Amino acid sequence: MTSAQSGTTGRYLVLLEDDWSGATRELNRVAGIRAVDSAQAGLAQPLWEAEGLVLRELGVALVSANPDQLTSLTAAVDQPGPIALVEPERYVQAIAAPTEKATEVDETTFTWGLQAVGAPHSAVTGAGVRVAVLDTGLDLTHPDLAGRTITSKSFVEGEEVQDGHGHGTHCVGTSCGPRRPASGPGYGVAYEAEIYAGKVLSNAGSGADGGILAGIAWAIQNGCRVVSMSLGAAVRPGQPYSRTYERVASRALARGTLIIAAAGNESDRAHGGIAPVGHPANCPSILAVGAVDVREKIADFSSATVDAVGAVDIVGPGVDVYSSWPLPTRYRRISGTSMATPHAAGIAALIAQSTGASGYELWARLAQTARRLKLPSTDVGSGMVQAP
Amino acid sequence: MIVPVLVSVADDRLGDLSVVVDGLRDAGLRVGEVLAAAGVVTGTVDSDRISTLSTVPGVADVEPQQSFGLAPPDSPVQ
Repeated sequence: MTSAQSGTTGRYLVLLEDDWSGATRELNRVAGIRAVDSAQAGLAQPLWEAEGLVLRELGVALVSANPDQLTSLTAAVDQPGPIALVEPERYVQAIAAPTEKATEVDETTFTWGLQAVGAPHSAVTGAGVRVAVLDTGLDLTHPDLAGRTITSKSFVEGEEVQDGHGHGTHCVGTSCGPRRPASGPGYGVAYEAEIYAGKVLSNAGSGADGGILAGIAWAIQNGCRVVSMSLGAAVRPGQPYSRTYERVASRALARGTLIIAAAGNESDRAHGGIAPVGHPANCPSILAVGAVDVREKIADFSSATVDAVGAVDIVGPGVDVYSSWPLPTRYRRISGTSMATPHAAGIAALIAQSTGASGYELWARLAQTARRLKLPSTDVGSGMVQAP
Repeated sequence: MIVPVLVSVADDRLGDLSVVVDGLRDAGLRVGEVLAAAGVVTGTVDSDRISTLSTVPGVADVEPQQSFGLAPPDSPVQ
């Protein structure tokens, strides 16, 4: 018996070819292992007594092997016959509380958020994908966006797109900003996406459904694959979602536009307060984004799945997020599910570019590829968004 | 009291949206915007006429508009 590598049991899993009949005979012929077929043995013989067990339903054999036998098995992989792959059996553990990991992340080159979503290692850029950010507008003079394709429109009466608040500029920065600005770390996820900046919140930070829906309609008309909405209104537990937004979001999905919205900052977890996902992120057809911090713990303020409908679908980096801010400030570090949302929107753009997916398929790919976190699904949905 | 509302139009009536909008006007809606891509009509209406709007042929839902507010720019959590 070889000594087990760290995390392995010392036994081996042998993957069998689809046509695996004769596997027990082959294991004996190749390596002298007397294996039992689970179907024939009826599992009467305990797993730990047999030298090998062929799990007929899975097309896998679990075997004990000494170094010589292991060499023989490994050699058989390249020969004709049922043995396709040999790998060490691993110990598996029940999910426990996450271990503390170093808080300090080197942000010299990229923000911790970009690193957490795997953006620096992605080969895609968002090029050719239109991303709408519906917010307080954008500082159109920000040097970090010079040369980018930007389409903008204000849906706020009497106000230009130019961002007099800062929130919108920060969100555009995270979703679509640069990887290599003139100074400081890269902070943008989909750094070559086409930016559609829709101003639906005033410079004072306020807005209403009418302007937001007008912005959504504009994004759909322009073929935006992704709509990022870092906005919301608090709801009470049990309060129904907006049927109007649900219908609109469902139509948008059918036309290839995925709406991503902030779950809300209404929780106060330090004092036991868990708030439900706000309006309109609580609509089933809108992807709701919660926030985690650099330790991948849920943010104190992040709203949660409280009711049967209105789930947190996914999370992104949303605490101490560095991004662009209107001049002369240029950069700021702030927190909120508003900051997690554009991370998810940027990743959606990368996935749209790499797979061609849109609508429900894009939603599915975002959820499927999310990195699982050892946190309740009611807080983080399927986990941390990940770049393709 | 005049309230801002969202009127959601049924899927099978999106093709003749203008007819639905005319019906909404007749029922007392001061039409703000017709958002064809979203299938939504925004506007204002006297609060005691909201139930009348929902009886207009082609109307799926009528809801009061909600408003949104961000934290001030200098707030650490937004």
